[in-house]
Amino acid sequence: MKSSLDVSLVFPLLVAGRLLLALTSLSDALKHNHQLSSPLTSYLNLQEGIYLFQNGIDPYSGGVFRHSPLFLSLFTTVLPRSRVISSIIWTLSDALGAWALVQIWRTRQRVAQTSRDGLIAAAYLLNPYIFLSTLALSTSTFENTFALLALMFAAKGAASPALLAAAFLLQISLSSVLLLAPLLLLIASSPISQLASPRPFAGNGKKIISLLIEFLVFTVVLTLASALVSGGWSWVPQTWGASLTLPDLTPNVGLWWYFFTEMFDHFRPFFLMVFSVHLLIYVAPVCIKFQYDPLFAAFILLGILGTFKSYPTMADPGLFLSVISVFPELYPYLRYPIVTTLLHLHAALLMPLFHHLWLNQGTANANFFYASTLVFACANGAALTDCIWAGLRIAIGEPQEGFVVVQE
Amino acid sequence: MNALRARLRAQRADPNIVRIHRKQALVAVLTRRLHIIKITLFLVGYLWMAAIPSPRLGRGTYIDENALGPGQVNTYWNWGDVANADRYLEQLEGLRDNNATSEERADFLMTEFLKLGIPASTQNYVFTSSAGNVQGTNAYAVLSSPRTSGTEAMVISASWISRTGEGDGTLNLRGVSTVLALANFLKKYSLWAKDLVFVISDNYVDGMQAWLSAYHGAIQSNLQADELELASGVIWTALNIDYPGHSFSHLGIFHEGINGRLPNQDLLNSFQQISKWTGGVPVLVYDHQDSPQTDIPSWIPSAYHEEIRAYAYQSKNVLRHLGYQARGRGSGVHGLFHQFRIDAFTMFGLPATGPHGFHAIGRIVESTLRTTNNLLERLHASFFFYILTTPERFLKIGSFLPSAVLISVAMMFGGLRIWSDCAWIPDLSDKKEAGPDKWIQRSRPVIPVLGIMLSTYMLGVVLFSAITTSWFINNQTVASTLLLIVVSTIPLCALLIPSQDASRAAPISQLLKALNLCFASTVISIITVVNFSLAMSLAILLGIPLSISSPSKTLSLRLAKFAPYIGLALGWICASDELRKALWDWEILGVWFAPFVCIVYTPLVLQAGLVCLLPL
Repeated sequence: MKSSLDVSLVFPLLVAGRLLLALTSLSDALKHNHQLSSPLTSYLNLQEGIYLFQNGIDPYSGGVFRHSPLFLSLFTTVLPRSRVISSIIWTLSDALGAWALVQIWRTRQRVAQTSRDGLIAAAYLLNPYIFLSTLALSTSTFENTFALLALMFAAKGAASPALLAAAFLLQISLSSVLLLAPLLLLIASSPISQLASPRPFAGNGKKIISLLIEFLVFTVVLTLASALVSGGWSWVPQTWGASLTLPDLTPNVGLWWYFFTEMFDHFRPFFLMVFSVHLLIYVAPVCIKFQYDPLFAAFILLGILGTFKSYPTMADPGLFLSVISVFPELYPYLRYPIVTTLLHLHAALLMPLFHHLWLNQGTANANFFYASTLVFACANGAALTDCIWAGLRIAIGEPQEGFVVVQE
Repeated sequence: MNALRARLRAQRADPNIVRIHRKQALVAVLTRRLHIIKITLFLVGYLWMAAIPSPRLGRGTYIDENALGPGQVNTYWNWGDVANADRYLEQLEGLRDNNATSEERADFLMTEFLKLGIPASTQNYVFTSSAGNVQGTNAYAVLSSPRTSGTEAMVISASWISRTGEGDGTLNLRGVSTVLALANFLKKYSLWAKDLVFVISDNYVDGMQAWLSAYHGAIQSNLQADELELASGVIWTALNIDYPGHSFSHLGIFHEGINGRLPNQDLLNSFQQISKWTGGVPVLVYDHQDSPQTDIPSWIPSAYHEEIRAYAYQSKNVLRHLGYQARGRGSGVHGLFHQFRIDAFTMFGLPATGPHGFHAIGRIVESTLRTTNNLLERLHASFFFYILTTPERFLKIGSFLPSAVLISVAMMFGGLRIWSDCAWIPDLSDKKEAGPDKWIQRSRPVIPVLGIMLSTYMLGVVLFSAITTSWFINNQTVASTLLLIVVSTIPLCALLIPSQDASRAAPISQLLKALNLCFASTVISIITVVNFSLAMSLAILLGIPLSISSPSKTLSLRLAKFAPYIGLALGWICASDELRKALWDWEILGVWFAPFVCIVYTPLVLQAGLVCLLPL
């Protein structure tokens, strides 16, 4: 059983299977789906922006196109734009992400190859949240790939590639800036599991300043490149600004859209600030608590992003769930994995159903879909808190007869 | 006193210990009583289901959308229009007597519409299905609204074949002549704010399916239909007229759409009020008359007779509703409109010797159209989930939905209990020293269990693709026996799985049962919102059987336990008529009941059967 999960056999098989799926007409059925792509990542909006751009119209002047100018430059020059080739590119991006995840696992275990490699690749490539988003050609696929590449390079200690990947990630998704702190800590220390033996940060703290400067240089260069491509700064409020000001209230799986459709306009700026700051407040505590294992801190922040960011797609929580496979030391200490699984099962069935009842069949209304996204948020929250619990619990050791661990 | 002080001190000493003790006590109480809780939930759930027809549970109907203003207008339909309807009827009877073909009929209807000065056209269609082709010709006419630009429309329709006996071939001649006479009548008035579309669909349901698909540009691979030459706006409401007899005594409401969708209740309530007050015609749900002479045993106190009679009558209606909705089958031509988000129902003239006829139905339709004409926005959401127990009473979602959810919760508790029990086994190695409380942990191999579950779903997919072949339909008796044998022998492979060391890993049968219960519970609770009747049927069919599946030691006992599950899982194959209808509904109308049974229901029951087959 274990030997059959050999990665050199499983990985190509999985990628081939995914490519076959990508070539079916499933994409056309899924690309309108609100759960799989948000206004910031939708393939249809991307195509529209490219069309406007090629016809000499500023794509950022309307309210539709919210992708980074880097996508514009890539798709109008290097990459062909036919649907089939796009599907292949998206799938290969997933394959790259899966490979990066396997590398992260190996680096964390300090071995060249393990019997779990195939399982980890499968956990990423067969995760329905991720592969359906990829089939829907949502650009969140690229966000995931860049996040995993940044983590992989950081885990391997390759500072510049990691920071470059993080800078690209920041370009296409502003809220991913949360990952910067654990990423810098990870480069400065090691990815090896220290969950069982907490200790103060052991890496080279002084290095972090220079790393941060390097990251800023990358970001400034990429930002200037974006400005050059789009011929101005109008893209900033349309792309980065959108995830802060929430101009497009198309329903998605996140918690923001419904709240802001119900909001009186004069409260809007205040609550936008609250929601955005809410994301930021997790960074410091998580990084301080898990300073001995920055990879785990990054993993927790991925979960927080997937649950609370402004325009999430299924792929964002999907990434968090797949990355759980890198932390098998957590499994014995998870308190309620079956409950989390069942919550996810309910949410994954309820969301498309209520979406259909509301927008196709017309018997339900927005509250139904919102309720199902709340179930989804509960599922993600349950997974997140259980993982945090388990991550902290490991340090206390095996359960002893007659003793109970309490959280104060 | 000392004891009390000690207790107080203990509480002050360490709040954590108190918290742990309290938590442990709570968990212990709950786990010890879980069995009772489960049984209570089952009982309450099933009793609640039984109480759905009770007159005590429902409430009176009301109009939610004030803009509708039902029955507030003077009607102008009079005896001259009735005479017109009679003329049309004579001509239609002539067509019937000459055995006119579909095209001839449609041409006649189109000509009549054109004579009235209303643009009209016909549409030919052919459905190909594994049971053979279905073809026909629809006729339709579009009367443009004199007041607006024609972005919205209302449909008045009649099918050539009445819904009597679910389309047994009785002709709906009076329904069709009512539509023609109404076209003549309605065009004289300038108050229509929506286009009026008149549709005479061929056959029973397939004609309207072809017309609606073409109207909405929906692509259906097995349908070849002419494109519609005339178009109008978004259709909001549709009234389907079914008047098969010579006269009628009551008007029956048929409202279930395909795939379990119901029309907005405001539409039905408006119709009910209009029919009662404007037309003077009593309304029924379906064609069930409330008969006062129900036999009630004399030993029951007479105070209860009224309630029992009401219960009997309402349960007849509820059961009829369950039958339509659970199978996803529309109760008439109106059901097809629902898939395009159009609220529609059929008014069925219950055949009788009197007293009502064209005069009453014309006035009622006129007034109902005036009511739907008032709509400025779509009918309110939230008025789509109901069970109509009588025309004037209904159950809100909150008074029926929990019944199925309670069953599903009971199953979930059962599944979770088995799941957590699987992780532990009493330590029997050194019995002398340790008490009975010594437990050791064991692993739960989930992957093989998920593999088994996945293979049952694959089997379901194979089964479904087998029954949708034309080979199956054409040799149904042979093929269904063959399928029954094949599908029931495949699970017997489970007998080959060897028994495992139960002290290391939990037995597969227990894990399978746990996941099976959890998954069935999820399916039931989620289906409740889409199709409550289906969820209720599933709760009845799966609730107890899935909870009592258990492995056993001897081979004969295992097989004996497995057999009833096969009957439950695959018994439907033997109901050949029902199966053929369900497949026809799937192929022509896209009703997902047949694939649901094959791919979701049957595998769930097979898994319970496998629990019985697998080793302890």
